[in-house]
Amino acid sequence: MATAFDTVKDYTEAEYKYGFVTPVEEDRFPPGLNEEVVRRLSAKKEEPAWLTEWRLAALRRFLSMEVPDWQKVRFAPIDFQAISYYAAPRQKERPKSLDEIDPEIRRTYDKLGIPIREQEILAGVAVDYVFDSVSVATTFKRKLEQLGVIFCSMSEAVREHPELVRKYLGSVVPPGDNFFAALNSAVFSDGSFVYVPKGVRCPMELSTYFRINAAGTGQFERTLIIADEGSYVSYLEGCTAPMRDENQLHAAVVELVALDDAEIKYSTVQNWYPGDKEGRGGIYNFVTKRGACRGKRSKISWTQVETGSAITWKYPSCILQGDDSVGEFYSVAVTNHRQQADTGTKMIHIGKRTRSRIVSKGISAGRSDNTYRGLVRILKSAEGARNHTQCDSMLIGDRCGAHTVPYIEVQNKTARCEHEATTSKISEDQLFYCRQRGISEEDAVALIVNGFCREVMNELPMEFAVEARKLLGISLEGSVG
Amino acid sequence: MLAVKRTRRLDPDPAFTAAFRELAPRLPGSANEPLARIREEGFARFLALGIPTQRDEAWKFTNVARIANRPMRPATATELPLDRVLPYLLGGPRARRLVFVDGRLQPQWSHTGGLPQGVIVESLARAAETRPLALAEALGELDDGRSFTALNTAFADGGAWIELPAGLALEAPLQLLFVTTGGEVPVMSHPRCVLRLGDGASLTLLETHVGLGEGAALTNAVLQLALRPGARLEHDRIQLPAAQGSLLAKIDGSLGAGARYRQTTVLLGGALVRNEHELRIDGPGVDCLLSGVAVPGTGEQSDIVVRIHHRAGGSHSDQYFKHVVEDRGHAAFAGKIVVHPGAQKTNAYQKNDNLLLSDDGEVDTKPELEIYADDVKCSHGATCGELDAGALFYLRSRGIARQAARAILVHAFAAEVIGRLADPTARALAETRLVARLGGGLDGALVETVLGEAA
Repeated sequence: MATAFDTVKDYTEAEYKYGFVTPVEEDRFPPGLNEEVVRRLSAKKEEPAWLTEWRLAALRRFLSMEVPDWQKVRFAPIDFQAISYYAAPRQKERPKSLDEIDPEIRRTYDKLGIPIREQEILAGVAVDYVFDSVSVATTFKRKLEQLGVIFCSMSEAVREHPELVRKYLGSVVPPGDNFFAALNSAVFSDGSFVYVPKGVRCPMELSTYFRINAAGTGQFERTLIIADEGSYVSYLEGCTAPMRDENQLHAAVVELVALDDAEIKYSTVQNWYPGDKEGRGGIYNFVTKRGACRGKRSKISWTQVETGSAITWKYPSCILQGDDSVGEFYSVAVTNHRQQADTGTKMIHIGKRTRSRIVSKGISAGRSDNTYRGLVRILKSAEGARNHTQCDSMLIGDRCGAHTVPYIEVQNKTARCEHEATTSKISEDQLFYCRQRGISEEDAVALIVNGFCREVMNELPMEFAVEARKLLGISLEGSVG
Repeated sequence: MLAVKRTRRLDPDPAFTAAFRELAPRLPGSANEPLARIREEGFARFLALGIPTQRDEAWKFTNVARIANRPMRPATATELPLDRVLPYLLGGPRARRLVFVDGRLQPQWSHTGGLPQGVIVESLARAAETRPLALAEALGELDDGRSFTALNTAFADGGAWIELPAGLALEAPLQLLFVTTGGEVPVMSHPRCVLRLGDGASLTLLETHVGLGEGAALTNAVLQLALRPGARLEHDRIQLPAAQGSLLAKIDGSLGAGARYRQTTVLLGGALVRNEHELRIDGPGVDCLLSGVAVPGTGEQSDIVVRIHHRAGGSHSDQYFKHVVEDRGHAAFAGKIVVHPGAQKTNAYQKNDNLLLSDDGEVDTKPELEIYADDVKCSHGATCGELDAGALFYLRSRGIARQAARAILVHAFAAEVIGRLADPTARALAETRLVARLGGGLDGALVETVLGEAA
């Protein structure tokens, strides 16, 4: 009988199936980062002067900062001057309808399994596609417009809704927040913008699909979602990238703002190219995601399934300002081969009776390292705050690492915090049990891993849950025992 | 706007250099070249490492500079009457002990006679004469990148050298009592202890830190433990620093196969008390149990740091720490279990429970796991909350005053750890001090009841 380890090995040898490159003519800047580049970028996007200045201030901030080194992930220093800060598929004009999109790009998305047309009609999901740095198409726009929901690319939002952008951009993640957020603020190229007006329940899932295509570039998108009083929106994000030997940087910023009684549900299935078995290439996924529950009884829920990227380093957080607001974080992080993940969340309790719940499942295989790092901070004003944190790790094979670094800081006596964590492996018993009932080893592993992650998977919207389950299987292919 | 780079270390106060230059010729073993060199190196290392700030991850919760980076003078000889020290002499009539006041051995209260053949219990000053090379080697081998350890190496004055030969079980408990008096100008002392247990040897060690007097004082203690295979050590620590007294205590230890180490720490008082543990498990069958309780109130901070390295598989470790935070107290816990590659079948637990009794207090906890082996059982838990309202109501409804009810519940919370102290006299001292501390209208009869129940 093949041992669990052999199965794990088979799993790990599986290849990344999104690793194709699309030959698209592109428009790009030569590598380098300075004020001139930022000005050109801003000019290219025909941005107003205040935004150009905002970018320049962020750039100055960035240049004065140092690369942080407290994290568990290790990587060679990044040469920020060797990156091209703008790469866009070349087009004369922005397409007026979906039919005008470059057929090559269309084919790329078809390969990814998300034919635009089909998604639009069958799935009823409104999708914003970001190809390299530029938003390619936004489907279902008209239907959303009728409800007053604004769902467009960031560049478009800057043109069409400058007052909203100006009010909220950088209000959750200020430009000087951290090293990569400052970089993003200076050079962000595009991203999605969502505004849900008062009392509107967005009738469909909004979704963005990110793809890095060009070599020698990074992707710096910026997403801003505002849910006005009493509104609800569910937003999905997916990502892939071609296989390359070089490491590419993805430094995005996501800001969420929930006003009174609003709810935002943000789901991510992250499947950037993780590098090959020896750890060559792959995406550095250094993302700042933060949501502010500004209003009373507001709610922000983060769900993430992280299977890709050579290095994942992000902490989707909630600032629970409004009384009775709720923050949730559900995460599955899978690492294989030589991937590194240092991910978790921050829950900052400010308002009274704020509640947060954290469920994190880390699965490490191969020679990877998987770290949960989280902060629960309860400030003096957070009367009656509640937090429950659970983080479980599963190790597959004996050369990987699983780490847990929770910080709990409490300044209010009525607060109640609980944290628990466990570490386990797929036991021979569990596998044997499945095997003797005729389930193949690989299926048994997928079954056990899916069971381990069930609490998180249940939080994903339907369309994503199916994809995420498949992804889990694929990322662990060749790895389990 | 330029971001100001906040520094992770501060240059030590120049008073340290002055004190070292002045004191170096008079420190134990200063005439011995290797020992003097180790001290010089230690001091240079201290200057290079500097005083950590809260930007340093290891000191995130604790501003140590406020008590450690100020002009301090080395302690001078202080006379104390016996009745002030008497309550702290633990271990019963058979106990052997070394008593230090401000880092100086007090032979009149110390008693190490009649020990079995091969047992060594001597003060650091004596060890510097009898075994200077071994002492130099022991001081030199500990470089943990921690500035206060380097500072201790430079200044090590009080302290002890303890060795038990293989197979010897010392029945009488051994007490190390450190008394600090403090003064107008803050006083510093740097006890350094080396404890070595041979194969299968066994010892009960009572380590007591007591602050008497109002003045400010810093005790910077380092204890190096080495337990050979099969050795057993019961280690009771009672820490009762004065209000202006601070204690930085580091324990560095290695545990051989089948060794058993049980440590229980009870801390009451102290401006800043940081207990650091770095323990390495080097063989299978080790049983390592660390527990502690502290009750920081206004102006007090308790900081507990634990790192347990499972370098070999098949061993068990357990951390169980509790904090009760009153008024403006501050409690911090940072525990870490590291399971090294290949340390399969490791069994490790970590638990930190906190009672936060005031809105002005603060609890920070960081229970960490770092695991590089797949066939292990590791888990941790941390909680923080106030007293259970139901339990409080239950006692109140039976006519017990609010303050007393509160004291009973807090006592019950802490008693779980106090009950783990191995020595009955240590337990009694901890109990008495805790009950006195909780006060809150507890009358004599009730104190007796509480004590009676605990016994």
